[in-house]
Amino acid sequence: MFSLIRPSAGACAALAFVGASAAASAKPIAFANGTTVMAEYGAGTMLEGQAFYAPTYWLSTGPGYVRFNSDIQYVNREIAYLRVNYLAKRWNLPSAQANVFVWGGLGSAAGNTFDGTRLARNVGAQFDYETRRVYASVKSDLWESSEFSQRVDTLQLGFAPYAHDYSTLATWFVIQGRDYTGQIRHGVEWAALIRLFKGGAWIDAGVTTDGKPQIMAMFNF
Amino acid sequence: MKILKAILATLLVCGAVTSNAATIEMEVNGLVCAFCAQGIEKKLRTFPETSDVVVSLEERLVAVSTKEGKDIADDELRRALTDAGYTVVNIQRPDESIDAVRARLKESPR
Repeated sequence: MFSLIRPSAGACAALAFVGASAAASAKPIAFANGTTVMAEYGAGTMLEGQAFYAPTYWLSTGPGYVRFNSDIQYVNREIAYLRVNYLAKRWNLPSAQANVFVWGGLGSAAGNTFDGTRLARNVGAQFDYETRRVYASVKSDLWESSEFSQRVDTLQLGFAPYAHDYSTLATWFVIQGRDYTGQIRHGVEWAALIRLFKGGAWIDAGVTTDGKPQIMAMFNF
Repeated sequence: MKILKAILATLLVCGAVTSNAATIEMEVNGLVCAFCAQGIEKKLRTFPETSDVVVSLEERLVAVSTKEGKDIADDELRRALTDAGYTVVNIQRPDESIDAVRARLKESPR
């Protein structure tokens, strides 16, 4: 037996203005009345920070900043944004949970291939499935402005060597594949990560196949 | 040491029998990570009647105890967990203190 929770369709309309992204594969909404602060160093290709407040378990909003540094040519882009995250669907199973998140936002983009700033818009979606031993997520982010269009697609597959509980440290081994379009990077960037979390603190740390560090820290309170 | 354990166990049992505080256990679906537990605990502690909360991912269990002479209706608890994003499968009111529930969870085999 499993249960399905579907937030009100009216809330979808609130997302008519869409716009920003989540670099980390963690959930963009932790829990109702909770605040999530996240920072990620993505192997020198991406740097991102976010702070979201969730008034309910199916909606969160807040500011973020992301910077992309191309390894194809000397191109960089940075975007400061305001974003809304929406839990479109959740499946609560006896020993598992699956979610579909969508998000969007608007921001201000700057870069070294154009002067001044441009309005940036972003839409994204994430599907994740997790038990206490297995984790999988697929995420896609589209960033656009009058000067560029790029997408960041991220796949994460993880397993835990033991089943954690609320009061114990959770340990996960995660393989991440990330593909950048829009003249940011050629080929999929693969990384092996170790994920640790306990209480409201979470950290991912690892290295890509290029030998670059991939680090993410998140705090929920 | 055994005597001390026996005294503690007796006190726990006596506490369950003589106290007017209620212990409520809920079986919950979707309870798979510490963040889930954190959100549920935070929500349940907003009730003025709540004295303590225990969450076990292993047993898919959320237990809440109330203050002396207080209670929380099943409908309110079910709504609280639904509003937190989880699904309550059933609600029981065992005749034991929340400390006894905590001890039982600690002893349950992994």
